[in-house]
Amino acid sequence: MTGEVGVLANNGCHIFNGCGFPAPGLQSFNWKPFFTVGSFGFTKPMLLAILAALVVIVFFWVAFWKPKLVPRGMQNLGEMAILAIRDQILRPSLGRKGDSYLPLLVSLFFFIYVMNVMELIPVLQFPVPARIGFVWPLVFVVYFLYLYLGFKHQGLLGYFKTMIPPGVPWPIYIILVPVELLRFFIFQPFTLGVRLFGNMFAGHLLLTIFTVATWYLLSLSVGLLYAAGSFFLAIFVFLLEILVTLLQAFIFTTLTATYIASSVEPAH
Amino acid sequence: MSDHGNGAAARTAQDEAAAQGRAQGLETGWTVFSYLLAGMAAYGGIGWLIGRAVHVPLLFPIGMLLGLGISIGYIIHRFGRQQVVERPRKEITGDR
Repeated sequence: MTGEVGVLANNGCHIFNGCGFPAPGLQSFNWKPFFTVGSFGFTKPMLLAILAALVVIVFFWVAFWKPKLVPRGMQNLGEMAILAIRDQILRPSLGRKGDSYLPLLVSLFFFIYVMNVMELIPVLQFPVPARIGFVWPLVFVVYFLYLYLGFKHQGLLGYFKTMIPPGVPWPIYIILVPVELLRFFIFQPFTLGVRLFGNMFAGHLLLTIFTVATWYLLSLSVGLLYAAGSFFLAIFVFLLEILVTLLQAFIFTTLTATYIASSVEPAH
Repeated sequence: MSDHGNGAAARTAQDEAAAQGRAQGLETGWTVFSYLLAGMAAYGGIGWLIGRAVHVPLLFPIGMLLGLGISIGYIIHRFGRQQVVERPRKEITGDR
């Protein structure tokens, strides 16, 4: 349980008790370690990330442990999941030639989705990407992959040349080079990571604020009306987050596919 | 191929086109956003460096504005022109 929620539950902090609103903030994202090994503390987000990885591994392992020609049960579900990623994310960007990247994109999508959806599951109730340290490794995997593929398929100079469209006069080239270099090497991966982090961070903060406010405003007086309003907003944000968790995983994976496509095919 | 088969194929083609449009739209949107940031950072940085050397701090915000202008110009040049979308032609059957 995070700080302010614990204070509310333990002390019965309500609006008419003379208790100030314990506004959720950054402290809602800091967790006491379950245990420490030297200076390393094992926290809840780490546990949830491992849990998310296990969920994805076990799901696909169970689905395709003994694959049958006519799929049934879990295999059906697994095939539907893979085909959805192939048809909605991979093929539109990479075409049939990009099918070799399907395992990467499927793993990436479901790992991010399960980490995101932890936010909405009672007891777990924390989106792992709301801690940016969990997002950067995913971004670096994508970043180094598309750089490697770009240099491999287009060569060192060729890759840089494709960053600026042909037919641009050379003085404009000089003006655009710093912008293109920064865009490509810094801001493209930066926006990829920060968007996922920002959305999950904001979603969790909103949910915490309205949930805490519902409890804080709850009383047998006019405060009940305020509490009902806050509760309604908490439900609204919860429903919105069901969509956001899926959408953020989808956007991250789709952008990964388009970045790989632009590295593999220069004219993309 | 039967009419039913043609209809299914047309739906699949439409779905593929919609998915492609979605992926392109996402890429364009985030590329544009990255250009805006990169323009300001690149020329803001150059302005800041020159400003530090010549002791004119104003060159930093001027550089940022210049970079923003360059980014916007480049975005218009690269993405501003409306793309011609090929639509499947309707069969002229003459029975209207």
